[in-house]
Amino acid sequence: MTFWVKQGISQENKPETDSLAYYDLKEVVITATRSERKRQDIPMPVKVLSQDVISNTGLRRADEILNEQTGIITITDQSGFKGIQMQGINSEYIMILIDNVPVVGRQSGNLDLSRLALGNIERVEIIKGPSSSLYGSEALGGVINIITQKPKSNDLKLGVDAAFGSFETSDFNLSTQQKLNDFSYSVFINRLSSGGIDLDKNLQGNTIDPFENYTLSSHIKYKFSDDLKTAINYRLFYQNIDISGEREEWDNNLTSITNHKWSSKLNAHYELYFTQYQANQLETDPITDNILFNSEFNQRLFRPEIRLTYDIGSNQELISGFGSNFEFLDRNLFENDVSFNSQYVYTQYSFSAFKNLDLIVGGRFDTHSEYDSQISPKASAIYKLNDKLSIKASVGSGFKAPDFRQLYLDFTNSAVGYTVVGNRVEEAVIERLQNNNQILSLSVNPEDLGQPLEAESSLGINLGFSYQKNKFNLDFNAFRNDIQNLIDTRIIARKTNGQNVFGYINRDNIYTTGFETDLSYSFNPNFKMSLGYQLLYAFDKEAEERIDNGDVFVRDPETLVTQRLERSEYFGLPNRSRHLANFKVFYKIPEWKAFANLRLNYRSKYALFDTNGNGLIDDFDDSFVDGFSLVNLTLSKSLFDHYKFQIIGENILNNEQTGLLNLPGIRITGKIQYQL
Amino acid sequence: MKTLKLTTFILMSLFMLSCSDDDEVMPLAEVESTTISNLHAPQEGGQGQPVSGTFTKFDFETGQETNSDTDWDIAFRGTTIAVNGGTETGTTDEPLRTSDAGVTIVNGTFEDITEVTEDIEFDQDGQDGFAIPTGSGNGWYNYDFATNILSPIPGKIIVVKTSDGKYAKIEILSYYEDAPSDIDPFEDAPRYYTFRYAYNPNDGQTTFN
Repeated sequence: MTFWVKQGISQENKPETDSLAYYDLKEVVITATRSERKRQDIPMPVKVLSQDVISNTGLRRADEILNEQTGIITITDQSGFKGIQMQGINSEYIMILIDNVPVVGRQSGNLDLSRLALGNIERVEIIKGPSSSLYGSEALGGVINIITQKPKSNDLKLGVDAAFGSFETSDFNLSTQQKLNDFSYSVFINRLSSGGIDLDKNLQGNTIDPFENYTLSSHIKYKFSDDLKTAINYRLFYQNIDISGEREEWDNNLTSITNHKWSSKLNAHYELYFTQYQANQLETDPITDNILFNSEFNQRLFRPEIRLTYDIGSNQELISGFGSNFEFLDRNLFENDVSFNSQYVYTQYSFSAFKNLDLIVGGRFDTHSEYDSQISPKASAIYKLNDKLSIKASVGSGFKAPDFRQLYLDFTNSAVGYTVVGNRVEEAVIERLQNNNQILSLSVNPEDLGQPLEAESSLGINLGFSYQKNKFNLDFNAFRNDIQNLIDTRIIARKTNGQNVFGYINRDNIYTTGFETDLSYSFNPNFKMSLGYQLLYAFDKEAEERIDNGDVFVRDPETLVTQRLERSEYFGLPNRSRHLANFKVFYKIPEWKAFANLRLNYRSKYALFDTNGNGLIDDFDDSFVDGFSLVNLTLSKSLFDHYKFQIIGENILNNEQTGLLNLPGIRITGKIQYQL
Repeated sequence: MKTLKLTTFILMSLFMLSCSDDDEVMPLAEVESTTISNLHAPQEGGQGQPVSGTFTKFDFETGQETNSDTDWDIAFRGTTIAVNGGTETGTTDEPLRTSDAGVTIVNGTFEDITEVTEDIEFDQDGQDGFAIPTGSGNGWYNYDFATNILSPIPGKIIVVKTSDGKYAKIEILSYYEDAPSDIDPFEDAPRYYTFRYAYNPNDGQTTFN
């Protein structure tokens, strides 16, 4: 249903000239309930970015557009890996889907969304919180589903664009799509390259190394009959990063979906999904050619799934699905190739309890070869007081399985000498190190080595309302997410070289709470303003307990005097800003076929790590990054019938920051687009 | 409230009386708080190589570094602190333990720890490791891999039962030379301890006032 029906309801009904006609009331969302629903009818916090919203920014990659949405930011962790944060929950716990199937290939849990090109995107759906728990592991903080364009008409649609910008960046897109009676196809090709960025000349190496990457995305569909259709999606991403040595990445996704309508009530989907992510990195010293770092990573996932949708009638619908995940990973930091397999079944029942009250209940059960079975229930409700105001509530649980790294890593840092081992190989690695006389003593009981890790789990509650009246739209959502059993490192042995052997353990319990709100107003179809804000508190529960017990102290670095830390001086988890805000203005001049689109994104101060030795971030640490604003401006003008010119200014306030943030200053891109 | 004030007054007077009595009977040495700066604790190896090198020994009685094989209480090498009690841990070049000294880490400010209470138990070095656990976050320090800075954990007070059965408390203030307030791990020299300690030289006394 997702892939071929009703794709373009909103598009087709739109008048050609003023596509902004206030608010799109027919906007559909698939991710939240696994069936197509109008956004207004969904009880979970949902945001949809339409093709227009995306193309009006002129941005190129998924991370860039997501960064402009309320409550979402791209963060860089201590190791320099980038990922998205949502409701204060990090990338590791956010599932990213392309056309409903998950993207794999994470670095220390982070998924870098700059891998995903925007040139052929129909819409992006963002579901916050774990209440869409039908997706299984990783979906405990939310789900982002990137849905690609599918052909809608028999006319050939052809688009070409080229963009050139700061830092020798160039971006080319070619897309074509067409429907030929029962057959339809679309092809998209993108090439992006950059000359790299070096913000700090004093440091060796680049801030961002020069790179070039290619994306191929294709889709074919054949309609055997009105009741039987098959679609095949294939996507390939290849990237080559220019470093001293070699660094390459491949990302392959192949999906086949068959939709069989058994009757007017029963609809079946048969889905086969295969994906592979491969990354090789060989870093050498530019002068001596010595190998500094060598990493080979090759992950595969194969997933068959069957999903049944049964329309019971009188507003009742039942969706059930089951499937298996077969995962494999070869990594040179592991002793052996490793594999997981898991089976899952999920079901969801939606119905109207009373007039105006719609309920959705459901759950998912996962069994796994490496850890205990998981049950993830969810329930949500929407109550429509009238046409304009509806109240939404949802509660759900999610989990994240220990990943390959936490189970099988066997890594010794050659420069410093410490060792990190995955849970499953703790005993074997310790034995090997002992035989090599590298272990001085164990820091834990020998029986505790290899004690199974539990899955991390979360409970999320969202409560909000949405108000919509002609020119005015207000969404409000309060959230609370509690995550238990977070996996952290611990020392399991002392080495003779004075360093430690680290293992993984379930330790931390954290929570994130706050609210997010979006307010927008259209003065007229050509002039729209919006305001978004998120308030966030994100804390470690153990840290709060230790502070309450008077066990946390802070020492003044000047006077060296120590005092007890107050609860109010505990700032919270790293990389979380208390306030996120955005302000957007869209102004269109129809007679000139031109528009200006201004977006301001503000992030309040945050800290990256503890600097005063007490193991948590408090007001006295000096790793705080001051709050800052990024302003992006896009100017666009259409010419003749088929041409469009855009100038995209990113970070036009030229807010350059070095260090971990590595924020380049102003970037200007010029883009020319041809659309047949 | 008045009764309370009165009681306090009486107690205080009694206390002062008893104190003056004591003074007359037997004068006691005072417990003083002293700060030692830049006690150098070098080590060989590390960074992936086996660690070795002589420990820098400290004696509370003299308040000084010492080369004595027996008259020392605690000893430093890199981030490792040994105590003169227990047995060998197995690391190269460690000093022989010649007495029954012990250490323990107590949470609190330096001022909070006013006496060695009954419930404090002392640990000694041995096969299972040092009495003051090594490694970031385990004992007296935290090491941050991102900044490469080693910080003494504030609020960790090391209480020592010395080699001759007396008591001391130590707060480690800095691991870098001259205790810079803004540490540059590539400029500031590590393995220079700055610490504050209080030592009660009186036999059998457990207080630090």
